[in-house]
Order: sequence, then structure tokens, then C-alpha cells
Amino acid sequence: MSAISLTATYAAMGARRVAVLAIGSAAILVSLVLDVATGPAFLPVGAVAKSVFGLAQDRTVDAIVWSIRLPIAFVALVVGAALGLSGAIMQTILNNPLASSYTLGVSAGAGFGAALVIVLGVAMPVPEAWGIPLMAFLFAGIACAGVYGIGQARESSPEMLVLAGIALLFLFQALLALLQFVASPEALQQIVFWLFGSLQKASWSKLWIITAVLVACIPLLIVDVWRLTALKLGDERARGLGVDVARLRLRSFVLISALTGVAVAFVGTIGFVGLVAPHIARMLVGEDQRSFLPASTLYGALLLSLASIASKTVLPGAIVPIGIVTSLIGVPFFVWLILRNRRAFW
Amino acid sequence: MRFSLTSLMAGAALLASSLSALAAPTEITDALGRKVTVALPVKRVAVNFNFEEFTAVAGVEGWQKVVGISRAPWEGWRPVIFNRYKAVIPNLAAMPDIGHSDDNSFSAEKVIGLKPDVLLMSEWGYKALATQMQQIEGAGIPVVIIDYNAQLLERHLASTRALGKVMGAEARAEGLASLYEREYNDVLARVAKAKAAGAPTKKVYVELGQAEAETVGNTYNNTMWGKIITTLGAQNIATGKIPGPWGPLNAEAVIAENPDLILMASSSWVNRPKAVRTGYDIPETETRASLMPYAQRPGWANLKAIQAGDINAIEHGLARTLYDFVAMQYIGKRLYPEQFADVDPVASFRAYHKAFLPIAFSGTWMLPLKP
Repeated sequence: MSAISLTATYAAMGARRVAVLAIGSAAILVSLVLDVATGPAFLPVGAVAKSVFGLAQDRTVDAIVWSIRLPIAFVALVVGAALGLSGAIMQTILNNPLASSYTLGVSAGAGFGAALVIVLGVAMPVPEAWGIPLMAFLFAGIACAGVYGIGQARESSPEMLVLAGIALLFLFQALLALLQFVASPEALQQIVFWLFGSLQKASWSKLWIITAVLVACIPLLIVDVWRLTALKLGDERARGLGVDVARLRLRSFVLISALTGVAVAFVGTIGFVGLVAPHIARMLVGEDQRSFLPASTLYGALLLSLASIASKTVLPGAIVPIGIVTSLIGVPFFVWLILRNRRAFW
Repeated sequence: MRFSLTSLMAGAALLASSLSALAAPTEITDALGRKVTVALPVKRVAVNFNFEEFTAVAGVEGWQKVVGISRAPWEGWRPVIFNRYKAVIPNLAAMPDIGHSDDNSFSAEKVIGLKPDVLLMSEWGYKALATQMQQIEGAGIPVVIIDYNAQLLERHLASTRALGKVMGAEARAEGLASLYEREYNDVLARVAKAKAAGAPTKKVYVELGQAEAETVGNTYNNTMWGKIITTLGAQNIATGKIPGPWGPLNAEAVIAENPDLILMASSSWVNRPKAVRTGYDIPETETRASLMPYAQRPGWANLKAIQAGDINAIEHGLARTLYDFVAMQYIGKRLYPEQFADVDPVASFRAYHKAFLPIAFSGTWMLPLKP
């Protein structure tokens, strides 16, 4: 292949990446508008638009739009983005297509933390409404530290880390089952709620917190983007290129635990976005982390936003828990995605 | 002077009644003692639970003001009872659903969109849905908590009075509250008399007979039936033996404890062919036939309760209601037959239907295996 055609191919790939990100962003905008426009109260679109732009005062419409629909629509975006991004980092550093916070015990850890507060009323110097997210966040971090710590014992090879993650998944699931066993019916109901995952508890203050964590993680990632790309060539080659693999994994784990923790803390364990979004991104833009990570973030946001719309429209007038929607719609879509591509991505 | 005072009072009453046609902000104390301001009289109401208590207080005409309910805990849990009410409440069939806390389908947006003047909420629903409650209250819709689940006299009374005040049926609510208080205290007085006469503390085992005889169903520890048993001065054999407020007790433990009285909580569940069956459409023969396999469980033949024929079906829907005094009367009568000789719980339930409910009493609700 001549130098010119190589350059042309590279340029074409670059154009494709820009197009993928642009289309993703446009789709997110459309999805956001639809998310705000739909809901079980069946408000006229005109009334919603007037309320959004402050053109009309109607207490009922304003309450629905401003205290329910807008926070939910935006929280869906930032949570989806955080889950997509953390899943992408996890799949990269573990070099494994099955890695996600959901499959490797981080979400289960968060669930256990939340259940601890719900069942035992673990004394926290904060109101219960914030105690649950705090403990969920803390235990997501503990789960991440556990995965890293166990994996570290054997030179933190990706295989070791994945096995450690699976071990922690089962550990936290067993602990959670134990808590459910001793829980009162009210507490049990709350745990089940929490595990379903729900955007219904979205609020503006929660939105700002998740957004702040997401935004804070991005510059930290930009610094490491080329190292992560190098890591995809294998641990040996990355080391050859001067990357301190162990430290890179540690830094990445900290980011994963912050992103997953904050997302899961407020909306519960919404599965699957963290697994599927990176796969979609990989099929569209390939492995170069400079576009793979932003694409995973965008498509994670898009997926959860679409799921939010679906959860309101599948059964008109009712709201199907978002965790169930992401799995029920996500799984067949994911299988189709894998089967339609002859090219192997892994 | 006397004349003018009377006319003054009459005038004031007239003024008050004409004022009440307009919405007047009124403070209401709910089941938890919260002070809630509701603009009375209400024109639109959303109801989350305790539909039969709502009906007893507000009557069929009160349903004209209901704009949405949580359908699952009525239509789903007690479909046969729901269908009976559907036949007499015109707007119930097409009633909008506001969703339910257990399956996470409760929608604050749906409630706000229906523009109710007040939302009547169960205590457990209110606790489980903190964010949604804030959103609803933020939209200016007051939430009044109703709670019969706690099986506490004062909450039963406070819930009933709050329902009466919200629905403008205070006289009827007061009648219900005083009936409940009277019957509740009468049961406890009889128990105290029996105890004073040296009645032994009997051992009671209660189980939800919902699945089949081969499966051990939930028993209750200090809530619902468990609470009623201990209130009646008997020993609930499950107390302290199950970790939570309800769950199945080890089959061996039942045999080892050798209870004097066994209660199988029963109902007209749909798609539960092997459940113990009671309800509006169930004849006594059917209840006894459905109870029989449970009495024949392995190892049960020698239990004191079985040998005495004292294994009973009792409608599960009787617990945590305004008419649960009927269940207390029935269990009290099984525990202390002499003191309750002149008490007829079935007649009490029949009378309650006649006085307060729009549907006729029929069927079987509680009976022992041995007639």
C-alpha cells in the first residue's frame, strides 16, 4: 500500500469518526426532546414546550415538566454517559468484551451498600435520602478496590482481574440475598425497587452531582487516552512503549469506581448500558480510544435516553421500570448486533 | 334573647354551609398525626389503598369524586372482591391507574396530571415513594396518609376520621370509628375476663394457605395475624423464630411446638387452585374441602389442634381493615369459647356489610375444619 492511500484511508477513517459522533449527538438531541414530550399525563406537546420556555404559567404542567420530566430526561443522559464511559474503560483495561460494572460486581457492591442502609438503617450523619447514594457510592469503590486488590496479587493480569470481579459479583449477591432474607417487608420492597433501577427519583441536585463527576473525569481520561490505546496492543507492547501498566490500571479503576458509583447511587442498578454502549461504539469507530471513549459515552447516553422513552410508551399511561426495559430491549438488540457483524471485533 | 341566640346560631350554620361550597383550606390530621391542609370540600380525589374502608366512609357516591386509583393492590390482589365493587361503582371499571409502589409503576406525573385536590396514600406507599411524594406535594396536591396495616387501634381510628373529614362524611366516619373502638375494646375485655378466670395461654400457628399443602407458606411475626394473636393473649409460635416480620416457619418447628390452634389464611386468589378458599362466592363445603389437604400434612395427625379439629380457614383480606374486629372475634372465640359464647363473628360481618358496604354479604369467610 502506498503512502498516499494510507493517508487517504486514515483521513476517511477520521471523517467517519466525526460523522459517528455528530450523528450520535444529533440523535441524543432528538431523544431528549421526545423524552420531555412524552409521559403518562399525556400533556399536549404545545403546553410542554410553553412550560419549558416559560411562555405560560400552569401549576400542573410546570410541576410535571420542571420537577419530573426535565430532571429525568437529563439524568437519563448523564447516567447513560457515565455507564457507557465506565464500561468502555473497563473493557479496554481488562481487554475483555464481557467487562462492565454490571458483570464484574461493581453494581452488585453498590446494591449491597444501598441495602445496608435500607435494612440496617446504618447510622450516617446525613438524611436517609442521601445515605443510600453515599453508601452505594462507597461500596462501588470497595468493589473496585477489591477487584484491583485481588487481581494485583498476581501481577494484575486482565484474566486475574476479571476472575476477581466475578468472585466479587457472587460475594455481593450472596450478601445482598442475606440482607433480603432478614429484611422487613417494607425494607425488602425498597431494596427490590432500588435493584430494579429507576429514573423516577431524579432531581436537579442529583443531576448536578452526576454531571460534575462525569465532567471531572474527562480531563483525567484525556491524559491517558494514548496509553489506553497502547494497552489494547497487549500488556507487553504497552510496557515496551513506556506505559506503566499497573499504574494505568489503578488510575482507570479509580475513574471507573467514581463514574459507576455516582451513576448507580442515584438511579439503582441499571444494567446493560455499560456493556452494550462500548460494543456499539467499537463497531462504529474501532479501537482508537480517542474516538472510542467519546463514542461509548455518547451512545450510552443515547441508549438510556431511548430506554427512558420506551419505559413510558411501551405500556401507555404506565411506567415500566427502566432497568427491566434496558435488559428486555437491550438483550435482543445486543444479540442482533453481534450476529449481523461477520467481522470479529474480539 | 334566647330566640335571637338560636337564630344567630342558625344563621351562622347557614353561612358555614354556604361557605363550605367554596374551597376552604382545612387542617386534617392523618393516620401518622401529620397536619395536612386540604381545601374542602374536595371535588377530585386519588386513592392508593384501603378502597373498602374508603367505600365504607364515603359510600358509593364518594366514588364519583375519585379520579384515579392504584389498581394493582385491589384488582390484582383481590380480583373477586374488586369485581363485586365494579358492579356497583359505575366509574370503577375505567378508573385511571396511578400505578403501585410494589412493582415500581407508581407515577407522580400521572397523579399530578389528574389534578386531584388530595391524594390518599397508604403508609408503606408513602415511605417507599419519597421522591414522588415530594413532587406531588410540590405541585400543591396535599397527601393524607391512611394506615390500617399497623393493626393499632389509634391508627385505625385516626385513618377513619381522616377519611371522613376529607370526603365530607364525618358523621359516617365517626359511626365507623366508634363501632370499631367498641368492638375492639369488647374483644379485649372478654380476653381479660377469660385470663382472670384462669384461661391457659394457648399456642397458635398461623400460615398463609396460598400455594398448596406441600409448600409451607408464610407465617407472621408480630405484624398482621401475628400481632392479632398476641393482642388476644395467645402465644404465636412463630414469634422470634423467623428473622423478618413474615416468612415460612420450619415444618419441624410446627410439629415440635404442637399448637392448640391452627389458622390457615385463605382467600379467593386467582390461579391458586390448591389454596384454602374463602370469599363471597365460596360455599362452606368448598372451604372445608380445600382445607382438608393441609390438615393431612405429614406429622400433623398427632398435633393437638388437628385432633381437636381446630384447624381453621380465615380470610386473609380480613386483616388490616376496618372490619378486622370480625377476625379478632373469631380467633377470640376459638381461644376462649366460654367468654365469646354470645359473640357471632359471621353475624358481625354480615351486619357490617348491611350498615356500611354497597355489596351484599355472602359466602364463607372463616370456619373450623370440624363443623
